Amino acid sequence: METREVSVTFRQRRRKVKALDSVSLEWRRGEVLGVVGESGCGKSTLARALLGLQEMSGGEVLLNGSPATGRRELSDLRKRVQMIFQDPYQTLNPRQKVGAIVAEPLVVQGFGRSGHEEKVQRALSDVGLDPDTYLDRYPHQLSGGQRQRVAIAAALVLEPEGLICDEPVSMLDASVRSQILTVLMNLKEKRGLSLIFITHDLSLAWSLCDRIAVMYLGRIVESGTAVDVIEKPTHPYTEALVAAVPVPAVGKGSARALLEGELPDATDVPKGCRFHPRCPKRFEPCDAVDPSLVEVGPHDQLAACLLYDPAAAEASAPTGSVPAADSSGSTRGAA
Amino acid sequence: MKNLLEVEDLRVEYRGRPIVDGVGFSLARGESLGLAGESGCGKTTTALALMKLLPDGLSQQGSIELRPEGAEEPIRIGKRTEVGMQVVRWRHISLVFQGAMNSLDPVKKVEFQIDEVICLHEKGVSGKQVKERIADLLTTVGLTPKLGSRYPHQLSGGQRQRVMIALALACRPSVVIADEPTTALDVVMQAQVLELLERLRRDLGLALILISHDLGVLAETCDRIAVMYAGRIVETGSVDSVFSNPQHPYTKRLLASLPVIGGERGLAPAIPGGPPDPGNPPEGCSFHPRCPYSTERCLEDPALREVAPGHQAACHFSPWSSWPKVEPLKVGEGL
Repeated sequence: METREVSVTFRQRRRKVKALDSVSLEWRRGEVLGVVGESGCGKSTLARALLGLQEMSGGEVLLNGSPATGRRELSDLRKRVQMIFQDPYQTLNPRQKVGAIVAEPLVVQGFGRSGHEEKVQRALSDVGLDPDTYLDRYPHQLSGGQRQRVAIAAALVLEPEGLICDEPVSMLDASVRSQILTVLMNLKEKRGLSLIFITHDLSLAWSLCDRIAVMYLGRIVESGTAVDVIEKPTHPYTEALVAAVPVPAVGKGSARALLEGELPDATDVPKGCRFHPRCPKRFEPCDAVDPSLVEVGPHDQLAACLLYDPAAAEASAPTGSVPAADSSGSTRGAA
Repeated sequence: MKNLLEVEDLRVEYRGRPIVDGVGFSLARGESLGLAGESGCGKTTTALALMKLLPDGLSQQGSIELRPEGAEEPIRIGKRTEVGMQVVRWRHISLVFQGAMNSLDPVKKVEFQIDEVICLHEKGVSGKQVKERIADLLTTVGLTPKLGSRYPHQLSGGQRQRVMIALALACRPSVVIADEPTTALDVVMQAQVLELLERLRRDLGLALILISHDLGVLAETCDRIAVMYAGRIVETGSVDSVFSNPQHPYTKRLLASLPVIGGERGLAPAIPGGPPDPGNPPEGCSFHPRCPYSTERCLEDPALREVAPGHQAACHFSPWSSWPKVEPLKVGEGL
């Protein structure tokens, strides 16, 4: 799948909020893609746009190279790409039994009655729930981890090729969290699923994703392989995010460069580079020039920062005082 | 000098069943203790018991002694009545409640809510003094005093959490308990709030009890840590000692299940099953049904004992000199 210059605008009274601003992203077959960023950066809106659940004000979503626009294409898209959500306590209908919940997508998509049972059973056993035990239970009889498995089973029953996971484990306890991740990664192996992990947990994205896209205020500011982006971040925002991750080990990073301030209101995106008011490395033209993604490293590592795009910075800054890019990059990885 | 806070054999029961079972710890002035554990393990119940704020139906036993500076006799919280507690709460020990978003009154201005706390717990403070203190408090937690005239909905999550901390500090207590102070916040905001707590501890000499399920957060902010499982402390010691050399299989497995950036990538082996039902705890060591190292001996209850200087664990086989390798679980077999 691919998005090309996708923009989403919300109207809030008379103001316009650009939740996504020309986001282009590739999601390759069999890949685990991580989308990370603070809440409000547009991660979930991107997921909704991918599934055609969100009206776009510009750009297009492509599935296998052809645009997914018409009703037919969208219905096909939603059969092939499914989504699971953050909160397993809110996504399941409390008055339906597990069997009915998992079978519902089949009913919605108009599959004939026959074969439902078999598909439901297969989906349940793929997520590690014994169908005989769980088919007739209600959600309130399940633990948080079991509910999330049911949600995954319901997403699987249509045998999709891709699964978008919006914060799949952030509501779960540490020990249950690794179980759900095991289930998801196992599905990737067994069914050849492609996965998108939308998360604010950088260590999780680093450990399980092939590639990562970092979002800030509706834009992708850095992307590349998970190892490159997290261990050798180039964009100052990614650097700050990585530095803010608490480490469960001794010899903790005591001297951390903390980001100041908060994510600005999306109705009032700063001029120039949208990160510049919080950026520790800002310089002259950052408040005037809006950087675009440029290549910053091997394996297609891209970042939108003027530090790496001297040409764009020079063009608007006649003084020509562009500081050299800090090639050592990482704040913690290098130490 | 005696410790600031001594808790011995704290028990909380619900209909005769223990929710918190024999918890004991001490806290020195200016020290920070982390309480770790998954939901339902009794962390929050312990915090509420320290404040004597348990909901109806829960009864508590055990000794809680607080020795604020200058006091000759310890305050025996365990024996205090509700009326007696009213002069202790907030004056000597206060609590930052879980979920900043929901703990503030939505229809009252921030300054009014702080005003309320001061006037309720300290008699005879003049209006002018209260005003000054509100401005001081807001500055202390890194907010501009102007924000006092706002309503909670006009503040961001991070700002609300800061207001909650200001509320806890309003009457200059010597012990502050923070229950999951950063759970609802993003990584960047989380790092800011943790730094604030650290600074307050340094500048005001506060003793801090930090409750969190996030071992990374505790590793970065605490001197000592107590890991709880099913209502008991299963391991406690200095943060350095527990994280570098865990001595309880639960701590060990939990740490192994967390990805650490720069460490080993890929899926960490999960802990099977879920936390035990507090109404029907397993016989003997409560972790043994999930423990990969359990033997018949684990049907006996292990006592919390010293396994290294200042480091205690409740496992028959501690001290562990090495940990046998654990095979990752497969979906469908134990997962």
